[in-house]
Amino acid sequence: MAHVVSSLDQPSNYKDSQTRVDRMKQNEMLSKSTTLYIGNLSFYTTEEQIYELFTKCASPEDGGGIKRIIMGLDRNTRTPCGFCFVEYYTHAEALASMRYVSGTKLDERIIRCDLDLGYKEGRQFGRGKSGGQVRDEHRQDYDPGRGGWGAQAQRIEIERRREVEERYADAVDGPGAVAGGGEDWKEAENAAPEKTLKRGRSPDDEGNNNGRLGQRTRTEEDMEAERM
Amino acid sequence: MSYERRGGGGRRRHHRDDYDDRRREPYESPDDKLKNAIIKLGEVDPVEELPRLEKQIREHVPRNIPILSEAFRIGVTEEPYKTPYYAALLRLLHDPSDVGIPDETPLGRLILEDFWKGFQGYLDKVAWRETRLCIHFFAHLTVAKLISPESLFSLLQSFTAVLDEFGVSHGRAKRAALCAGEGLLVVCPILIPGGGHLDFSQAGPILKQYSPSNTTDIIEAIRTYNELTVTQKWLVAPVTKIYSDVVPEENAVELLDILLTILQTLDRGDFEETANCLPRPYSEYPEIDTTVLPPYNLPLVLVPPEIIELDALSGDSGEEAQVKKEEWPEFFIRLFGSEVSPDFQNPVGYILRTALLDITDIFEVNRKECARLLLEYPKWNLPGTFKPKPGATVTADPVPGKDWQLESTIIETTLGAYLILPESSSKSIYYTSLITELCKLSPSTVGPAVGKSIRKLYISLSEGLDVEVARRFAEWFAVHMSNFGFQWVWKEWVPDLSLTVQHPRRAFMRRAIEYEIRLSYHDRIMKTLPESMQTPEAYTIAEQAPGPDFGYDDPGKAHHDAAQAVLNLFRGRAKAEDVISHLDTLKSTLESSDEGHVNVDAVVRSIAVQSLLHIGSRSFSHLLNAIERYLPLLRNLASSGVSSVGGGGNAEAKADILSAAAAFWKHNRQMVGIVFDKLMQYQIVDPTDVVGWTFLNGAVIGQFSELAGPMNLSTFEWDLLKGALDKANGRVMIARRKVTALRKEDDDTRARVKASTDADTMEVDAEEKPEDTTSDNPALVTALKAFSSLTKEQKAALSKTLEGFVSCLAPSLTDPSPNPHARTVISEEAWENRANWGRDEWSAWETWGWYRQFCRAYSPYLRTYSNTLYAISFAKFDGSKDPAAELLKRIWNIATGQDA
Repeated sequence: MAHVVSSLDQPSNYKDSQTRVDRMKQNEMLSKSTTLYIGNLSFYTTEEQIYELFTKCASPEDGGGIKRIIMGLDRNTRTPCGFCFVEYYTHAEALASMRYVSGTKLDERIIRCDLDLGYKEGRQFGRGKSGGQVRDEHRQDYDPGRGGWGAQAQRIEIERRREVEERYADAVDGPGAVAGGGEDWKEAENAAPEKTLKRGRSPDDEGNNNGRLGQRTRTEEDMEAERM
Repeated sequence: MSYERRGGGGRRRHHRDDYDDRRREPYESPDDKLKNAIIKLGEVDPVEELPRLEKQIREHVPRNIPILSEAFRIGVTEEPYKTPYYAALLRLLHDPSDVGIPDETPLGRLILEDFWKGFQGYLDKVAWRETRLCIHFFAHLTVAKLISPESLFSLLQSFTAVLDEFGVSHGRAKRAALCAGEGLLVVCPILIPGGGHLDFSQAGPILKQYSPSNTTDIIEAIRTYNELTVTQKWLVAPVTKIYSDVVPEENAVELLDILLTILQTLDRGDFEETANCLPRPYSEYPEIDTTVLPPYNLPLVLVPPEIIELDALSGDSGEEAQVKKEEWPEFFIRLFGSEVSPDFQNPVGYILRTALLDITDIFEVNRKECARLLLEYPKWNLPGTFKPKPGATVTADPVPGKDWQLESTIIETTLGAYLILPESSSKSIYYTSLITELCKLSPSTVGPAVGKSIRKLYISLSEGLDVEVARRFAEWFAVHMSNFGFQWVWKEWVPDLSLTVQHPRRAFMRRAIEYEIRLSYHDRIMKTLPESMQTPEAYTIAEQAPGPDFGYDDPGKAHHDAAQAVLNLFRGRAKAEDVISHLDTLKSTLESSDEGHVNVDAVVRSIAVQSLLHIGSRSFSHLLNAIERYLPLLRNLASSGVSSVGGGGNAEAKADILSAAAAFWKHNRQMVGIVFDKLMQYQIVDPTDVVGWTFLNGAVIGQFSELAGPMNLSTFEWDLLKGALDKANGRVMIARRKVTALRKEDDDTRARVKASTDADTMEVDAEEKPEDTTSDNPALVTALKAFSSLTKEQKAALSKTLEGFVSCLAPSLTDPSPNPHARTVISEEAWENRANWGRDEWSAWETWGWYRQFCRAYSPYLRTYSNTLYAISFAKFDGSKDPAAELLKRIWNIATGQDA
């Protein structure tokens, strides 16, 4: 169906601006990606709400499912700051989300999905100066779902916020901060580590990142172009 | 029509971003430009554009036939609503050129000959949709006298030949029948004496001779095949009665059935209705003189056999377990009267609806464009077919018997495709999102159609709407409302609160609200409900937000202190082995205490699992972290302390783990499903454990104790079963892929080795060594072992499910809490008396529904093991006259293909 209309599952101009992987490699990784970046979330949307929507694109009968969800957090306050990563077991499920979920509403906001190169340590935190996402620093409008908070907000929502804010108070940095999500089935006796089908990170990627990430200024960001 | 973002070759034009300047606008060659012009035909007015496009094609030099025929193929197979106009364009291109070279083959004929090659390509790949859509094109060309009727009929007959193949699958037969039948439907004007409404005045007498025998043969072949599918229809009709295999016609129609009905009408010579189904722009042009330009004879074809996966696993597993879908008749639910949306049973209705279905199918990759094209569809059909848009400037006179509502027709058709049993051809969420886009494009016209559809489906809930259809209805409802501010007028359903608590309508309300809460949050949804639904006595929405329930929270409760101690260990991130030894101590303490008579193992498991879930209760990620950190502990619990048992574990221990998890999340059934899924994912429990647990305990989990009753299955329990079965099947799938990949790798290596050895020993005519079939590739050996154990688990899970259903629906005296109504609800009398049914009758009825869904949805898997499973679950009924057992077996036999 490539001739008459474009498919919605194509990678967009979204990118991880801090990646050190070259363009060709990136495209190759995206063509197998099982991870989605989800943007324009309300700060109050929970992982379970995300799970409920995205599980509709899962194909468990094909060995798929939601492997994990990584909530994007404000670097300083450890509270959700309006984005997340959803990782599936299969690429087809990620594509299905692009086709059927991206551009629809979750928690009464239109969310956007983009194929992502895959979660890496540290990416769960916002890259804006304030600790949240860069887009929320430049935003002019009042957005109650994303911190544009005022007295007119109802008590019930304040309550909701309190719960949400406490939820990730225990979030930590560093290796092992984020669960793996469980691998494919393994024979119990055969503990021999086997190469999984999961996209492996080539040593190059890691090497390129070494020592440089920390020094970079963190003002650039996930290119949150709002195109919805 | 505007096709934004279309670049040459269909590549998406990317927005330029700061560092990616490599993706420039692709260069468009003159050939590409012409091709795109053909594909874009009709953006404004197809009839007006045709002569202009014809001129453009003729003037294009150098002539490039393959490009032209490719453009036609793309048009016909990807924009089938334009096919009559492409036929007209090809007709124009058959006129002699202005240069007037004598005996010159017309350009159109050259394109047609090349087009045929493309068709042959689709056929070779058994690309059914493309094949069928090309046949539509050929049929139009036959009416335009560019293709000989004889050759078209032999083409159609090569498709009906498929229906006679021995052991043909329903999917293949259905598609072949659609190719032949729809071809016949499009070509029908030539069967009409005098050419029908077309001005083919001399055509009649000549063409009529093809009609009787050929059409009758084709129709007869479809009829004969269709008759074989009667029992299957009963199992997949959206509205049925358990007791009778007569499918009520007023609620739903089956695709092949209606095609056949229409063709029979046509054959009886009743052509009045068939003449006005399709635009035929080519009939406006001067008629081709077949003595000057003899029509093209389509070459003979043979429909290639079904593609058999050559790399399917052989011998090792002893099971051939290919998974084939779409083996069932396709029913479309009817929501409106024939004054609102066209009756499927008349030719126009068939053509309109299948045209909409084709658009839905083809444009699945882009739901936004799909929605736009659906709403633009009237432009491609005859004027007066649909009511004009409100405020439209150009209005055609309504045609009597037509003048339908476009939006209702589209929504009915889309929902029809969504609600097909046992499953829709695309993912459910696609149809949901498509309807959302339709509403966004034209809220004032699509919105009311959606509302009417919801009300109609809601009403049919008590008329025998299939339980799986009802489940999908609730799922769509919730996601749709989530996209439109949860604005539903619940008030109108308040009177139904007087119905019994398990009545399908009340079950629907509860389920829809539960799904809405999952997508939103409790207070938000509570606010959308009228007061009478908010009260606890209404049993419609939970009183509290669906939080966790830590069973040892209350200091007054037993084991509170013990649980606090375990909880503190977890909070302090104690090592798994330390927790294990603490639990061992706890166990001995409990055993020696007064409470020693209770099942101490179960208590310890419950404390450990609930405490672990407690620290993981903040979010899905917290759950994963908690499980991952304490995997050794969970494994220890699952194996009942016996360290590292390979896979197995202790069934009782695993059931205790599941019970503890279900108790902890008893107010949040979404979390029960998630926890079970992850426990299976991390191999703490197996799918079989979840199946077994669900049949024993499922009914007690829920927000309302009033709903609990004797053994039964509701949607929630079905979701748990489905989760377990899909997990088991998915693992086999992964393992199979792995084996296939390793085999291929192995073969390649072997071939390479052999090639080099052969080269070495060229002169020595060494005798071929017998092929070593048992590979010495350790990875492959491991993969095969995994495959075989996963296949066993799959079989066990399926078997356990079947056993569970049998003991629910035909309970023996020894089965725990049998539902006394399992046997009674299946009679006609009982069904007619359903107004007086109580909770247990409806529960039994729903359980029967899930049994049907189990059999039809998993039939590809069940077939593989049908003999063994039958022996385990049904052999005990041999010779018995128990009507429940009879019905169970009957459904089973239909699903596994043993019903003759």
